[in-house]
Amino acid sequence: MGRFDEELLQMAVDQASKSGAKEVIGELVEEDASQIRFSNSSIDVNKKWDRYYLDLFLSKGRIFSLGRKISTLTIQDPNPKKIKNRVPKEVRKLEGLPKSKLYWGMDDDSHSSYPEVKGLYDGNIEDFSDRAPRLVEKTIRESKEAGAKKVAGVLYFGKRKRGLLTGYGNGGTYKTSHCQATVRSFHESGSSGQRLVVKRDLSDVEKNLSDAGRKAGELAKKSADAREGKEGTYDLIMSPTVGANIFGNLLSGANPIMMIAGMSCLKGKMGERISSEKLSVKDDPLVKGGLNSRPFDAEGTPSKKTSIIQDGEFTGLINNTSSAKLWKFMNWKKLKFWVRPKTTSNSELGQIGMTGTENDPRTLIPQPSNYVFEPGTYSFEEMISSSRRPTIYLTSNWYTRFTNMREGKFSTVPRDAMFLIEDGELKRPLDNLRLKGDLIEMAKNLDIIGKELEQVKWWEVNTPTFIPHIKIRDCKFTRARQ
Amino acid sequence: MYQLLNIDDVFTLLKVFFMDGKSLSDHAVGYGGEKGAQYSEARFVSSVDENYIARNGKFLSIQEKPSKGIGIRVLVDGCMSFGSTDRLNKKAVENLIDSLIRSARQTRREEPIRLSEEKAVQTRWKSTVKLPFEDVSDEKKRDFIKDLDQTVKEETGGAIKNRIVFLNTKKEDKYLVTSDGSRINSNLSYISILTMMNADVKGKKEQRLLGLGSTSGWEWLSKKNIKKRIVKEAKKLVKAVRIAKKVEFEKPIDVVVSGDVSGIMAHENVGHPSEADRIMGREGAQAGESFYRDLMNEGEMGKIKMGNENVSIIDDPTMRGSPGHYLYDDEGVKARKRYLVKDGYLNELLLNREYAHEFGTSSNAASRSNSYSREPIVRMSNTYFEPGEHTKEELIEDVEKGILMNSFTEWNIDDRRFHSKYVGLEAYLIKDGEVTDKMIKRPVLELTTKSILNSIDAVSKDYVSRMAACGKSDPMQPVPVSVGGPHLRMRDIEVR
Repeated sequence: MGRFDEELLQMAVDQASKSGAKEVIGELVEEDASQIRFSNSSIDVNKKWDRYYLDLFLSKGRIFSLGRKISTLTIQDPNPKKIKNRVPKEVRKLEGLPKSKLYWGMDDDSHSSYPEVKGLYDGNIEDFSDRAPRLVEKTIRESKEAGAKKVAGVLYFGKRKRGLLTGYGNGGTYKTSHCQATVRSFHESGSSGQRLVVKRDLSDVEKNLSDAGRKAGELAKKSADAREGKEGTYDLIMSPTVGANIFGNLLSGANPIMMIAGMSCLKGKMGERISSEKLSVKDDPLVKGGLNSRPFDAEGTPSKKTSIIQDGEFTGLINNTSSAKLWKFMNWKKLKFWVRPKTTSNSELGQIGMTGTENDPRTLIPQPSNYVFEPGTYSFEEMISSSRRPTIYLTSNWYTRFTNMREGKFSTVPRDAMFLIEDGELKRPLDNLRLKGDLIEMAKNLDIIGKELEQVKWWEVNTPTFIPHIKIRDCKFTRARQ
Repeated sequence: MYQLLNIDDVFTLLKVFFMDGKSLSDHAVGYGGEKGAQYSEARFVSSVDENYIARNGKFLSIQEKPSKGIGIRVLVDGCMSFGSTDRLNKKAVENLIDSLIRSARQTRREEPIRLSEEKAVQTRWKSTVKLPFEDVSDEKKRDFIKDLDQTVKEETGGAIKNRIVFLNTKKEDKYLVTSDGSRINSNLSYISILTMMNADVKGKKEQRLLGLGSTSGWEWLSKKNIKKRIVKEAKKLVKAVRIAKKVEFEKPIDVVVSGDVSGIMAHENVGHPSEADRIMGREGAQAGESFYRDLMNEGEMGKIKMGNENVSIIDDPTMRGSPGHYLYDDEGVKARKRYLVKDGYLNELLLNREYAHEFGTSSNAASRSNSYSREPIVRMSNTYFEPGEHTKEELIEDVEKGILMNSFTEWNIDDRRFHSKYVGLEAYLIKDGEVTDKMIKRPVLELTTKSILNSIDAVSKDYVSRMAACGKSDPMQPVPVSVGGPHLRMRDIEVR
């Protein structure tokens, strides 16, 4: 770190405006990220990524126009010379492009202050790199002591500085730290347990990692000698990891772009009851410790919470200014014409379509920040002890795939420890089952929501999600019988 | 005291001051060695991505994105580190290597990582391109998408209300240098088209995601008649929405699957479990392990029965023009065709240099990385059932009652790659040796890998394929692969 030159932002935005761009967003990012991957109880590889880039989003077009010309330029390792050379060329290139029907412009509001977001950066990250290998080794030891025969996982950590400046003068600079770990422990062939650590502050990271290792080891041991599960209908207790994946697929549909793309089962359901009244979820870019928490979005709009589901009712979409305008235009019969379409502060320079790495092209789209579920009153133990009907407890899942995303019909494969609960007790571990579901039907069958939120983000969950254990009635399980 | 510099010295000094990506890569490998790395490797990648996204013929986004960077691996005292930087100067590269060596030295392993000995190669290779992307005007590229959309719309009578097209072209120049003497330059040209079609007829809905791609130039679109193929698939999708009906099969029936379905089965049920890093547990916390780990206790390679003798499954990166094509992998090993399963027996695993050493053999060039910022790991390329001798009609004429499954929608598999599920999209009832007009709605095959491979009694001689982005690792590394193959006839299958 140490290359971050904030003046480049002003220079780039000025250069773009001078060259003829109507709207400009400059985002300067310097990132120092690391990863330790381990398996078979040993470290396989240490990784480091050194990134410094300037993204410039540019647009041209009349205010009252159905779409505008847009382009995003990325300058790696930016300097004044590169900005002077490349920005005017990119703006000239805009002339030859057709209008994007997706982009309807930003607001010209200016913002003089931004909300304070607590816990974005912890100075302990500065020397974490030297401690990290020992912490991984300790995590592995804890897990083995708890019953694991071998331990695999990943520990990500790093720091990032982000500067933003729009042509309307909005933005600022802030830095963040992060630590994210997956610990997957194996007891015998086929029996495993997984735990996550997702944090911005590193004060308790040693304890958090050790706990994750120990709990993953315990789960792996507990799930040994699993019996093949019987197909049928069960009540289901989802761990936060499973809930974040399944409900994440439902919530990702609360986005106009997903609706337009035919990838949402929520289209046409605004204002309707889409789940049990026990379910309330917000998009929250201000939540303390949230891995996507930030004071402003890519348009420089101050971050704010957005209710997506309130007491079971579908209450809101996440939007940037452009998607809010587009959505209003597409739904002009239903929406009040005198109400100005408003961003929900979810604008980001993100990727659409088949994405490979962070080097792939980005454009300005609405993206969720952190999903935060409203907690209920049940502890996990109470959830189990109150289960009188045959119930399955899923600790982890993967490979959720849809027959049709507009209908929300899917199946997903349990991985790691899975247990049968009978008469209020964990009876025995199961394996070889597949959960077959319908997102809306499952949300409507939500029976109990737990009281302890955990932040989830891992291989199968992209949007950081604060979610408790959740119990759903009448879920179908199948298996490969042949 | 002072000596005059000769012309070579001057040239060397100039190279140090004005290093391009290749010189920096050479320097990185030398510097890694000086600092104590047993092995070092640098990959300089310079690429240009061009990306068109349109919905119903209207453009949502058009972007061109150049990118450059260096990815470096060092092996120090048996511990591996990987890093990347987009700062192309000597100091940044040396700092990165210092930090990689420091973190490798902070790591302790009981079993040191070792790499197989491979022949050092100095070569240059490239994909076959007749019409480079830069020689095609932007307007022509846009017109192709608009014309494709219009044709799909007209030919399906407007039943596909939501048509999304992603057209991507990519030119990638790569320079790989390793401390054991390999220096490989490559120029790859990728083109891919991904269509997402949503068909709506009288409240009934179906969705089809179709990926097609090639390592060639713009000529691929006309040579392979890509527009015609997409339109044909669109019409089949609409037909499925209109007439497919759910049918309950009380007893097991015969199932004939097309290359589209046999391709995904080859990829998911055999390709992934053949990856040596999974077998040895390295993907344990991400893409998972492999049922081969237990299977390989049953005997030696070549003697473990996987399925019927007519089953051979190949992974072949040398197929020119295919999405997964390469001639040298990202560790500098020459690519070749690999029989994963031969005549029903487990024959070969997918290996990189680390796991080749572990298995006491040579690498078969399965090491790939999708960017300078990702470590090379064991990957598939183009995976398929080896075509047999029958025609598709011969497969069908011997079926009394069964289904022909031409395409699929939902699919998944457990992380040891044994319990899989494939849901049919375009599927027909076969009766008395003939394919009927009766379409079956979403037939489900929920089968183990073993039951798939043991049920195949005939393989056709035809071959079709499509492109997929195969996901693996953490951070995720989608790489282009082809999934395809011949028709397969599977006997006595439970269809739900």
